[in-house]
Amino acid sequence: MSDPVDVVLVDDHDMFRTGVRASLDARVRVVGEADSVDTAVAVVRELRPPVVLLDVHLPGGDGGGGAEVLARCADLQGEVRFLALSVSDAAEDVVAVIRAGARGYVTKAISGPELGDAVLRVAGGDAVFSPRLAGFVLDAFGTGAADVATGDDELDRLSAREREVMRLIARGYTYREVAGELFISVKTVETHVSAVLRKLQLSNRNELTRWAAARRLL
Amino acid sequence: MTSPPGTTPPGTVRAPAPRLPLLRPAKGRWLGGVCAGLSAHLRIPLPLVRALLLVLAATGAGVVVYVFLWVTVPPGDPARAAAEQLPAERRRLAARPRLDPRQVPVKDIGIGLIALAGAGLLIADRLGARIEARWVVPVLVAGAGLALAWSQLDRTARARWVSGGRTPVSVLRLAGGVVLAAAGVLLLVSQGTSMTTTINAAVAAIAVLLGVALVLAPWWLRLVRELGEERAARAREAERADIAAHLHDSVLQTLALIRKQAGDPEEVARIARAQERELRSWLYDDRSAPGTSLVADLAAVVAEVEDLEAVAVETVVVGDRVPDEGTGALLLATREALLNATRHGKPPVTVYLEVTEDAVEVFVRDRGDGFDLDEVPVDRFGVRESILGRVRRRGGTAELVSNPGRGTEVRLRLPVQPGDEEG
Repeated sequence: MSDPVDVVLVDDHDMFRTGVRASLDARVRVVGEADSVDTAVAVVRELRPPVVLLDVHLPGGDGGGGAEVLARCADLQGEVRFLALSVSDAAEDVVAVIRAGARGYVTKAISGPELGDAVLRVAGGDAVFSPRLAGFVLDAFGTGAADVATGDDELDRLSAREREVMRLIARGYTYREVAGELFISVKTVETHVSAVLRKLQLSNRNELTRWAAARRLL
Repeated sequence: MTSPPGTTPPGTVRAPAPRLPLLRPAKGRWLGGVCAGLSAHLRIPLPLVRALLLVLAATGAGVVVYVFLWVTVPPGDPARAAAEQLPAERRRLAARPRLDPRQVPVKDIGIGLIALAGAGLLIADRLGARIEARWVVPVLVAGAGLALAWSQLDRTARARWVSGGRTPVSVLRLAGGVVLAAAGVLLLVSQGTSMTTTINAAVAAIAVLLGVALVLAPWWLRLVRELGEERAARAREAERADIAAHLHDSVLQTLALIRKQAGDPEEVARIARAQERELRSWLYDDRSAPGTSLVADLAAVVAEVEDLEAVAVETVVVGDRVPDEGTGALLLATREALLNATRHGKPPVTVYLEVTEDAVEVFVRDRGDGFDLDEVPVDRFGVRESILGRVRRRGGTAELVSNPGRGTEVRLRLPVQPGDEEG
């Protein structure tokens, strides 16, 4: 096994940070912690870890929470990758941090080994989608027959394959299981998921905007 | 309260003996409750107040004072009002308006008084008393104007007025009342003078009024602004009180319950999950009306299974629609599938519901050891009938995919009429 991945843990609840530290296995090493927007920005800028576990709701700063940390570390993105972590199921929380640049989103109910997997995946440059985030994506991009993208460069619609991948993830399949189900490699699944993440971040799709506006974000 | 004992934190009504607000109580009143209210407010014995007012009434001033207070002082229980003046964070819930069961029919009494006065005038006229119309008419006009303007000070209208909702009707009433009263007063004081003098006097009066209004404008504006700020602060406090009340009623109770059941991990997990679900729905969900959302119905089914089996079920939904008979059957099948997954499979159990234009699909998955449907005795499992059969009978497709080591997935698909899909 290679060297453990360094992460900075950002959460305003001490108890939760302790719990995460205890549940992470040897593949991940916590090198720093922060409990507010300002300390998070300072710690991330100082340590420049490959992965930051970022709580969506954070005190301090201008009240923007995790999305504000992402915005203020925008110049580091690429070097530092952010994985959003939240107890909230609310679509606005999730989509706000994803659109601010987070590479994935998991709920705090996630088990230790799964969180470790997610951290490794984000460190490797891939996106991490929880079933719920996949559900949000399908909801936002539409499930009708007219919503299928035909070209690769279309930002506003998912391709048929991307939608299949999203549906399987929403059904609780792991990347490996998705790959087995669709007879493609895990690497291809990861490519699809990253493409969906890019679309989610860059798309100006009407529905996405309207959907987000209805939930008072953006 | 975190302040040291003996001091009163700013903004709280905790003076040693707070003075009761001036209100007209319904209990113990003879006529309008004015004396009772005064006695409570000024802390003077009630008989003394009554005696004083009676003495004053003999001179006429007492009657004016009484009627003025009757009209201007709102009815209500002073003691209760004082209790409700506690700051919102110390109250359990925002105070709800309570309607007084007994209300004096002011309008009827007023009409009766006017009719009586008219009859008296007519009788006096018949008996030969000289009633000069040039005195009576202006007084009547001014009185009508006053009545019109004051009439909106009844309870409900006042509440609306104070809360800022100035209706066109109330503005019209006020304007009409002012015009009538002004005309009446003008007629009354300008008797025997020429038209030009009257007009000059009126112009001068209006000029003075405008000047006074200009002088008072900043003060009035500040008053209005402060009222708005206070209203906003009160709304915030009420909201906070509402949240505090909710936390108390749900979360605190649950925590107490958990502490009591600490020896029973399964029960604790069940309670915690139920509380989490309840809190989440309170915090994040836009609650939908019952019978309008398939998603809400699914959430109820999942909650029931979670409580019954003490296993967490991860739910993901895409789209929503109005439930009908077909989706009802689909949900019953989903419930059976969930029960099977939680009883015979291994967590995590996931359920995925997708509503598209022409179909509703449900996937229930567990990570158990899996089983072979063909090996299950026909009479033993509810799978064939209550899950697969239920959906197939409605024209849907249903299959069960089970792989040893990779868990079991129940896939249900029910075609629906397009059109009533939403979201």
